[in-house]
Amino acid sequence: MYKPAGFDFSNELRNNFLVEKGLPLPKATSTGTTIVGCLFKDGIVLGADTRATEGPIVADKNCEKIHYITESIRCCGAGTAADTEFTTALISSNMEMHALQTGRKPRVATAMTMLKQMLFRYQGHVGAALVLGGVDSTGPHLFTIHPHGSTDKLPYVTMGSGSLAAMAVFESGWVPNMERDQALILVKAAIAAGIFNDLGSGSNIDACIITASSTEMLRNVEMPNQRVQKERNYKFRRGTTAWKKEDIRSLIVDEQVTQVGGDEMDTS
Amino acid sequence: MNSFVERYSATSAVGQLRKAQRLTEEEEEFSDAAWGSQAGFGNIMNGPPSFTVPNVRDPAAFLRLHTDDHADPNCRIKIQHGTTTLAFRFQGGVIVAVDSRATAGSYIASGTVKKVIEINPYLLGTMAGGAADCQYWETYLGMHCRLHELRNRERISVSAASKYLSNLVYSYKGMGLSMGTMICGWDKTGPAVFYVDSDGTRLKGDLFSVGSGSTLAYGVLDQGYRWDLTDEEAQELGRRSIYAAGHRDAFSGNTCNLYHIKQDGWTFIGNYDIAKMHYDGPGDVPGAPGGGYGYDVRLAAANSTEVAAA
Amino acid sequence: MPAMVSAAQPVQRSFNPYTENGGTILAIAGADFSVIAGDTRQSEGYSIQTRYAPKVFRLTDKAVLAVNGFAADGNMFVKKVRQRLEWYRHAHAKDMPIRAIARLIQTMLYARRFFPFYVYNILGGIEEDGTGAVYSFDLLIYFKNQTPAPGTAFPKHLPLSTVLPLVIDSFTSATERHIEVGDGLEIYIVLSKGSTALQSLQTIRGIQELTATNDGERVFVIRRELKKD
Repeated sequence: MYKPAGFDFSNELRNNFLVEKGLPLPKATSTGTTIVGCLFKDGIVLGADTRATEGPIVADKNCEKIHYITESIRCCGAGTAADTEFTTALISSNMEMHALQTGRKPRVATAMTMLKQMLFRYQGHVGAALVLGGVDSTGPHLFTIHPHGSTDKLPYVTMGSGSLAAMAVFESGWVPNMERDQALILVKAAIAAGIFNDLGSGSNIDACIITASSTEMLRNVEMPNQRVQKERNYKFRRGTTAWKKEDIRSLIVDEQVTQVGGDEMDTS
Repeated sequence: MNSFVERYSATSAVGQLRKAQRLTEEEEEFSDAAWGSQAGFGNIMNGPPSFTVPNVRDPAAFLRLHTDDHADPNCRIKIQHGTTTLAFRFQGGVIVAVDSRATAGSYIASGTVKKVIEINPYLLGTMAGGAADCQYWETYLGMHCRLHELRNRERISVSAASKYLSNLVYSYKGMGLSMGTMICGWDKTGPAVFYVDSDGTRLKGDLFSVGSGSTLAYGVLDQGYRWDLTDEEAQELGRRSIYAAGHRDAFSGNTCNLYHIKQDGWTFIGNYDIAKMHYDGPGDVPGAPGGGYGYDVRLAAANSTEVAAA
Repeated sequence: MPAMVSAAQPVQRSFNPYTENGGTILAIAGADFSVIAGDTRQSEGYSIQTRYAPKVFRLTDKAVLAVNGFAADGNMFVKKVRQRLEWYRHAHAKDMPIRAIARLIQTMLYARRFFPFYVYNILGGIEEDGTGAVYSFDLLIYFKNQTPAPGTAFPKHLPLSTVLPLVIDSFTSATERHIEVGDGLEIYIVLSKGSTALQSLQTIRGIQELTATNDGERVFVIRRELKKD
C-alpha cells in the first residue's frame, strides 16, 4: 500500500465530515489565560493567572501555568492545556538530555528553537501559545512562541485571552532597567488586569523571577479572589438516603495460611 | 424566481403575514391595547393576531437558522421537545393522561409543566412539540369556541373545534410551527378524540399517543384497552401507560396528570409522581392494584432470601 | 463562465441580530412572598461590557420581572411591558394582577413567533389571593409552577429566612465556577399583605424598600457584591 510521506490527515478529513454532519468534536480544556513576561535589570519576571476553563465553566481554580524547562528557564503556557503541558514537558526532557550531552548549561534560544520547530511541524494543530523566559550564559532572554511556530524576542510580552489587558499595563508602566521589586509589581498588575477584565482569566497570581544566580517560583504570590464564606451549611443530614431493605453480612473470613519458606526476597 | 413570486403574492403564508403586518403597522402600538385591557390578543374581530416578521428574504429560513437544534446543537434558541401524551375514548368518556417534563436538549428545563390545556369545561387539548405553539393556539382556539357558543347558542363540536385548529396551523405550514396535539371532549355525538398536528394532519380515532414516549405508552395502552373498560380501569390504564413511558423515555417523566371527560365536562383526577409509582404505586386511588408498578414486581425474586440462598 | 453566474446570483448573507450577554437569574416563591434575583454582570465573549447592568426590574408592587439572554432585546422587552402596564393603569386605575401580567408577557413573546425576542424571563410576585408566585418563560411562552395537588409529591414552601441565604449561596457558587457570573447581586423580595416574613428582613444589612403604593404588598431589594474575576 502506498503511504505518502509526511502526516496522515485521513482522520482530519473524517472528523471534518462528522462535524459537518452535526457531530460535535470533544472539546479540549483550554486555558483562556493571561500570561506575561518582562525583562528587568538582573533578569526575567514571568507571570500567570491560575484559572483553567472549559467553555464558560471554570475547570480548575488554581492550576499552574508556569512550567519548568530547566532550572533557569521557565515557560508560561496558554491555549490547549494538554498541549502546553506536554510540549513543555517534552522540551524540558530534551533540554536535560542536551545539557548532559554537551556538559553545559543550555541556552534559552535552544529551548525556543526546539519549541518552534516542534510547533511548526504540527502546523498549529498543537495549540500551545507560550511565553518563554530565562537567563543563560549570554544573558536574560524573553520570547513568545505562537502555535504555528513563529517567535518574537521582546523586552515585555503578553499572551492568552487576557493579553490585551495585560499589555495595556506594560505599555503604560514598563521602563528599561527596572529593579526586581518594581518589575514584580508591574507583572502582578498586568496579571491582575487580566484576571479582573478578561473572563477567561481569574483566581490567583503566579510569578517566577529568574536571575543569573537564582530562580524564585512565587506560587500564588497574590490571592485576590478567595472564596467567600457560605451563608448556610450543605452537609446532608444522616439518614437522607432511604433504603428498601437492610442486610448486614460479615466480611471477616477465617482463612488458614500455611507458611512456606522464609520471608526474605530471593536475590540469588 | 420562486422567492420573488412568494414575496409579492398575497396567498403564501409569508405574503399573508407581511400583508397583515402592513395593515396593522401604523397603529401597531397604539392599538386598542392603549385604551382597554385586551392584553395582546387584541380585538378578536380583527381576525387572527399579526406577527412580527424579520425583514429578510426567507423568514422561515431565518427562524430555522436560530431555532433548529437538530441541525446545530449550538444554536442560540431552543424549543422544547420530548413528551408523552395520550388520550383514548371508551364507554365511560375520554381519558387524557400526560407527563410533566420539559426538556431543552439533554437538560430538564421543568418537571412541573401542565401539558393538558383546559380549553373550556368540555374541551381539553394536549401539548407535544413546541410548547409555545400548543399553548398559544389552543388558548386562541378557546376564544373561538366561546365565540361559537355566543353566535350559535350551542357548544362547538369537538370535530369543529379540531378542524378550526387544523385549518389555522395549516395556514402557517412551512413557517416552522411544531405541534402534535389531541383535542378531546364530549359533544352531541358523545366522547370524541381528534389528533391534530402542525403538518395539517387531522385524524378522528379512539386511541392516540403523541410524543417521544408514545411508542412506550402504546405498548401498555394496546394490551389493556377495551371499549367497555370501567371508569376506574380506564384511569388506571392511562396512569400506567404514562408511568411506562416516563420510566423508559429519558425525555418524559417527573409526574403524570390525569383527566377524565364525561358528559358533564372534564374533571382533574390527579397528579402522580412517576418515581413514586415505580416504588410504591399511585397511592390509594380507585383502580390501582396496590403496591409499586415496577420495583417490587421486578425485584421480587431477588428480594426473597430463599431464592438468593439457593 | 462561472464568474458571470456568481455575479448574477444574489448572495444570501445570514442575518444574525442576536448575541448572548451571559448572567444568571433565579426566583423562588414562598407561601406569602417571592424572591427574584439576578447578577449584574453583562458580558460578550470574554469581555465584560459592564459590571452593573440590572437584570431584575420592579414592574408593580406585586410583580418583579427578571430578564436574561440578549441584553438589548431584554431591555426593550421590559420597556414594552412597562408601557403596557402603564396603559392598563390609565384604563383601570389599578395595577395589573400578576396572573394577567404573565399572560400579557406570553402574548407579547408569541407575537414575535417568527422573529423571537432572545430573552428568557422569570416573573415573580404575589397573586391576588396573597400567595407567592413564580412564572418562567422560554422564548415564546410561560410555565407556571404547578401548584401542589392533593396527595402531593411537590416540595413544601420554604420560609424566607431559608430562601435568602440559599439564593446568596447559589450566586456565590455560580460565581466560583461560571465565568459569566459575578460582580454584583440584586435580590428583590415581594411580600404579600401582612406577611409574617417581614420580621426576618429587619435585620438584613443594606436592605432598601421600593414600595410605591399603599395596597399592602411591599417590595424590597438587597444588593450584595460578588467576586469580580
